[in-house]
Amino acid sequence: MNWKTVLYLLRVERKSGRLIRGVKATKYKENKLTAYWPYWVAAIIGILGGLLADFIAGEIYADPQAVSFLPPLDSAAATFFVTMPTLVLLFSIVLSMLQQIQLSGVKATTQVMYWLPITWKEQTTASILANLLGFPLAITIGVAAGLITFAALSSVYLFGWAVATALIMFAAAFLGSATTEIIRVLQTRFVGAVYKSSGKAAVWIRFAGSLIFFVIFYVLYFALTQGFNTFIQGLSAFQSTIWFVPFVWPALTLFYFIGNSVAFGALFLGLSVAFIAGLLYLAIYLNERFGLYEPPAIKVQTSGVYAPKTGLLGKLGFSSVEAALIRKDIRAFTRRRELIGVFITPIVFIILPISQSLGSGAGVPEVSLMFSAMLFLFPASLMATTMGNMLIGEEGIAVWRIYTSPITPKNYVKAKLAFLTAMSVLVGVVTGIVAVLFYNPSIKFIVVGFIEAMFLTAAVGPIELAIGFKGADFTVSRRPRMIRQEWALISLVVCGLAGLAVLAPLLPYAAALVIPDFFLSLTAQSLTDLILPLAISGVIAAVIAAVFYRININSAKELFRKAEN
Amino acid sequence: MSGQYAVNLQNVTKRYNEIVAVNNINLTINTGEIFALLGPNGSGKSTTLKMLMGLVQPTAGDVTVLGIDVDKDAVAIKRQVGYVPESPNVYEFLTGIEYLDFIADIYGISAAEKQQRINEYLKALQLEGREGDMINSYSDGMKKKISLISAFLHKPKLLILDEPLNALDPRSARIVKDYLHSLKAQGVTTILSTHVLEIAEAVCDRIGIMYQGNILALGTMSELRQMSKMESSGLEDIFLKLTGTGDLKPVVEELLK
Repeated sequence: MNWKTVLYLLRVERKSGRLIRGVKATKYKENKLTAYWPYWVAAIIGILGGLLADFIAGEIYADPQAVSFLPPLDSAAATFFVTMPTLVLLFSIVLSMLQQIQLSGVKATTQVMYWLPITWKEQTTASILANLLGFPLAITIGVAAGLITFAALSSVYLFGWAVATALIMFAAAFLGSATTEIIRVLQTRFVGAVYKSSGKAAVWIRFAGSLIFFVIFYVLYFALTQGFNTFIQGLSAFQSTIWFVPFVWPALTLFYFIGNSVAFGALFLGLSVAFIAGLLYLAIYLNERFGLYEPPAIKVQTSGVYAPKTGLLGKLGFSSVEAALIRKDIRAFTRRRELIGVFITPIVFIILPISQSLGSGAGVPEVSLMFSAMLFLFPASLMATTMGNMLIGEEGIAVWRIYTSPITPKNYVKAKLAFLTAMSVLVGVVTGIVAVLFYNPSIKFIVVGFIEAMFLTAAVGPIELAIGFKGADFTVSRRPRMIRQEWALISLVVCGLAGLAVLAPLLPYAAALVIPDFFLSLTAQSLTDLILPLAISGVIAAVIAAVFYRININSAKELFRKAEN
Repeated sequence: MSGQYAVNLQNVTKRYNEIVAVNNINLTINTGEIFALLGPNGSGKSTTLKMLMGLVQPTAGDVTVLGIDVDKDAVAIKRQVGYVPESPNVYEFLTGIEYLDFIADIYGISAAEKQQRINEYLKALQLEGREGDMINSYSDGMKKKISLISAFLHKPKLLILDEPLNALDPRSARIVKDYLHSLKAQGVTTILSTHVLEIAEAVCDRIGIMYQGNILALGTMSELRQMSKMESSGLEDIFLKLTGTGDLKPVVEELLK
């Protein structure tokens, strides 16, 4: 294996991953500070976390009563340390897989190496290392910085173990990256075989498969982040009982060395090295076998004489241009893997409250009310948020088609808003039905919840589309971004504020449900009590929608006028 | 004037910061003419074509297409123009038929006409059998065919084609060339940019040679021969002489070292 080749490939992979959008290639000069921000930001967060942990531990262990029932600090910290490699491994796999899902399918970016004198060993190693240098390394740096800072301020004993933990975490991150590579190759091959055998249904199988794939990794991600404390405690107790699972071997190496079981530590160290080497060879073997695999063409219609269909959209009053744009976007959001992700938010919003309400909060009226409100209000407006800001940038490099076609700004905005609103309303109806089935809210609650969800959608949709125009990113390689990061952040803030403005007339009534004594005078006895606040809320939503509709028309004019300038 | 000229560029300049892509050019193209714009890479051909579509705004000068000022009503021009870009970047998540259906709807073609025309073009360019596949599985040649059909579909008065025959198989290329000639007889104007000089020589009525943003030479083949004082030469020799890249022998010799 030529390591220089690996290094060159690695540089290209990493650079393509962090290419700055909106910068002319001829003027492109990489700023090291911004290019490597994930690493130093992770290090700073880690150091701050370590300092905070040291402060908290100092306060707790300064109390003699607490010391009497708590384990010694060194022992407690060491227990925490041994869970870190497995945690880094899980985060590495989950985050890398989420990133892999969004990677562009542009063949040109990946196939160059097929005709260059590069071996699969070199290509696979570079791919794994490039993956490692993304999220996995940033997480490792962050956690290692935290542990080493904490340990340096605590004791020499802990400092040594913190450094050892950092090294083992790095090995775990490599393990995670190699696993991602293996999953990626198998997924491509497996999915291709499914498409081939499923004929015309392939496009829907792909839609459902991508959704399931997304949901699994998002739920895993939420499980890791939301139940962090429980997870750490569980992992600490659990991983030595599943010693036969190779993915916990790096953590067990640390566990046995810290526990002074040198023989077992050495055994698991050897097993870890062998497993990492095995995974690397498996990844190389799979790439050699399936790497050149060309996915089969997805056939959506059977061939034959083409006959146009009269669409429903025309009957609903849309012009042929608007209907064509809406149909195109429906197909884009059900066929493009990177766009299918927008449907995740509502699905996760259904899964998470239900799974949580099945736990400790089950049966508590306030908790049911809160989850019902979440299901009514958030999925539809979040759908409008995520979809709205992508709707312009998703045109990608084929945006020239829009520029060169006789499409007026009004056609364009109307089509985009209609599609966005229809999808958000659909999501609102589905999640509303789930809320009714699971939490059985009152009729008053259902009516108000649904109306407010629609008002929120009506206000947030045009705002998001306006942000989509301003921050549109049409680049598709290496992954389509659709919206520039700074505009994605701005959109969250603006939509949060707009949402609050729309809900403001009803917030006191919502508070009265939770704290009846304080807001007694505002307790709504019947639906008629809420007509005025609902009307005010509707007026606020309508004003926002009208103002942003005008803004959108002007933005579309600007987009078409500037085109490729 | 608008009836005679399909395209009229007056003192048109396009600057990208310090780079002058198009330098004060004047160009008129007659209705029903097949006109080729030639030039080395970066000579300003694509920028000129994009200015005709309103995709790129000129820094100075006036662009009139089919009698309409591009700056005033670009949508009206787009309704009457068929455009094929150099790279056939189309919506790859659509099938070939869905893409053409989309284009037909955008141009407001009736269902009956749409059906007839799409089927005819698919048959002529041998895309039958693959029209139901997603475009991401198409070869570059097939994508080019889809782009060409989408430019012809609404029977435009003006065709602006950037490297239209790139990646096409010989049969399809021949069909497109013959089709352009037939459209000329119907009064359709075609402006094409190409590096394949044989195509320009065989297909076009007049040829414009661009170099570093300027039009170096403009005329029929015989006019270009006279201009270059190369009476019996082909377009390739004339092109190389006019663009100052005629003596290529030392370059080749250098490569062989």
